[in-house]
Amino acid sequence: MAPTHSSPQADLPGRALPWLAHLRASLRLARRREWYGVPYVLPLLLYLGVLLLYPLGYVVYLSLHDVNLLSMASRWVGLDNYRWAFEFEMPGSRGVYFTTSLLRSLGWVALSLSLKVSLGLAGAVLLSQPTRLGRLYQAVTILPWGLPWAIAAMIWAWSYNTQFGFVNGILRLAGLVEQPVAFLGTPVSAFVSTAVADAWIGLPFMVVMILAGLRSVPPEVLDAALVDGASPWQRWVRVTLPLVLPVILTTALLSTVWTFNSYDPIWVMTRGGPLGATETLPIAVYNVGFRQLRIGGIGRAAAMTVMQVLLVSIIAWLYLRMLRRSQQQAG
Amino acid sequence: MTHVLTWGFGLFLLLPIYQMAVTALKAEPEIWYSPPTLYAREPTLSNFVTMLQIVPRLPVHLLNSFVYGLGVSLLSLLIALPAAYGLSRFRVPGEAAIVFGLTYANMFAPIMLVVPLYSIMRRLGLLDTHLAMVVAGSIFTLPLSTLLLSTYFRTVPREIDEAALVDGCSRPGALVRVVLPLVAPAVVAVGIYAFITGWSQQFVLSLVLIQSPDLMPITQGLYQFFSRSSVRWPELMAASTVAAAIPVALFVAVQRYIVQGLTAAAIKG
Repeated sequence: MAPTHSSPQADLPGRALPWLAHLRASLRLARRREWYGVPYVLPLLLYLGVLLLYPLGYVVYLSLHDVNLLSMASRWVGLDNYRWAFEFEMPGSRGVYFTTSLLRSLGWVALSLSLKVSLGLAGAVLLSQPTRLGRLYQAVTILPWGLPWAIAAMIWAWSYNTQFGFVNGILRLAGLVEQPVAFLGTPVSAFVSTAVADAWIGLPFMVVMILAGLRSVPPEVLDAALVDGASPWQRWVRVTLPLVLPVILTTALLSTVWTFNSYDPIWVMTRGGPLGATETLPIAVYNVGFRQLRIGGIGRAAAMTVMQVLLVSIIAWLYLRMLRRSQQQAG
Repeated sequence: MTHVLTWGFGLFLLLPIYQMAVTALKAEPEIWYSPPTLYAREPTLSNFVTMLQIVPRLPVHLLNSFVYGLGVSLLSLLIALPAAYGLSRFRVPGEAAIVFGLTYANMFAPIMLVVPLYSIMRRLGLLDTHLAMVVAGSIFTLPLSTLLLSTYFRTVPREIDEAALVDGCSRPGALVRVVLPLVAPAVVAVGIYAFITGWSQQFVLSLVLIQSPDLMPITQGLYQFFSRSSVRWPELMAASTVAAAIPVALFVAVQRYIVQGLTAAAIKG
């Protein structure tokens, strides 16, 4: 058909305006939908509507107000709290408090997440091979998952202990260090050590998800590659990895959000120290809202929270998009 | 090479847990050897006695954690069970949006809502109450509980409910008498997931919402082993062993169902 010729059907509104056709279709569908299901879902919607959406709206309200700590009376201040967040420098330190802790958070998340993904992949590959101790090993891998994060942080702090910790004990026994290391005592080592402990906490989830991905690779595909004369390495890189990659990416994105929000390990082990080296955004929000009340307050902490929620929502949006795409591919 | 990796990986996973257990069992002088002994030469349970002398309120903290865990668990199941049933059995209007919203809400951590929740609870006069902890805690367990449960409900064929309806059961009756027993292990698993979360994973919530020592959960109660100048490590490790044993044992018991549910959502769709 020549492009200049308009087909007779083009006059129908549905064809000319695709969104209208879409609307009609969904209205038709809506009529067929079963409203009987609503009473079952309604309590959940009301509950989360009140307890999740209301606080989210309320935090925006708080961020635009100066909130008195004693009376909780609030006074409209416009964007002052946001301006404060982008200007305030903690006495005795350089750089804007909010942006510095945000950047520190990003670095900390990058470190912890790369450990989670690389060790998670290694662990999943190890577990996917049938071994005699397979079940025991799987149980060991799962173990840190059920552990309260605050307690995980406390036992890591003890393991990092300069004099009595096992980490130093093993390093000295192996002759790798001569003097015990103060893992939580210097800025750089504390930054790395808290990220390692956080990676430890998140590792079981990573291993389990990637392992499930590895197990979902159809054996026929690998057999076909074997028949074609592919080496084990080629089979892994060309066949297995591309098939597992969507799972790794979605799990990593989900884990990014959780790592970004990780609060317990740092607070327990260093409280943001030494010299603010582990003061990530969650710690900073807590400090401004509840700890250093002379400089902070609820309104200012609320402004920081709003920006935190926006950042997390961007990552969450990426995650949800990826999840939907991989589910569509899986059918 | 694979062996080195396997052992290294296992060592990394077990190291802090092992040192916790070994320290809890060590006698007084041995704890302060440096470098530390790698096992308890003369194992003793004395730290489990002295921990109660240092923090007599320890059982109260454990009880509080239990109450928070149970409250969060029951509240989550009460709301998530019918919702998950509805989502799996009917084409609820806006179903896709609800699932999308739940997946998004599952990404929320307490630290993101702690500022408004504190303000709201304070205005309502609910600071320092069990209710505040249970209600605030359930916000973070409900999304995943609903998603996991609806995955399990979908594994029960609709024909089974329909048969019950034909036999004169009401819809809620069919849910309680026919469908629930079929997915009972999964319901228990989800309940335990919520219990563990309420028991121990809401550290920052309790820091903000709870001030009186008598209401603190165990994770916060352990801070009494810290003083300005020193930490009572042996007793802290004994108390940590007790506090961790309960959620870890529960988790190991039901992890199969949780893992199945999580991976089903991420991989099969």
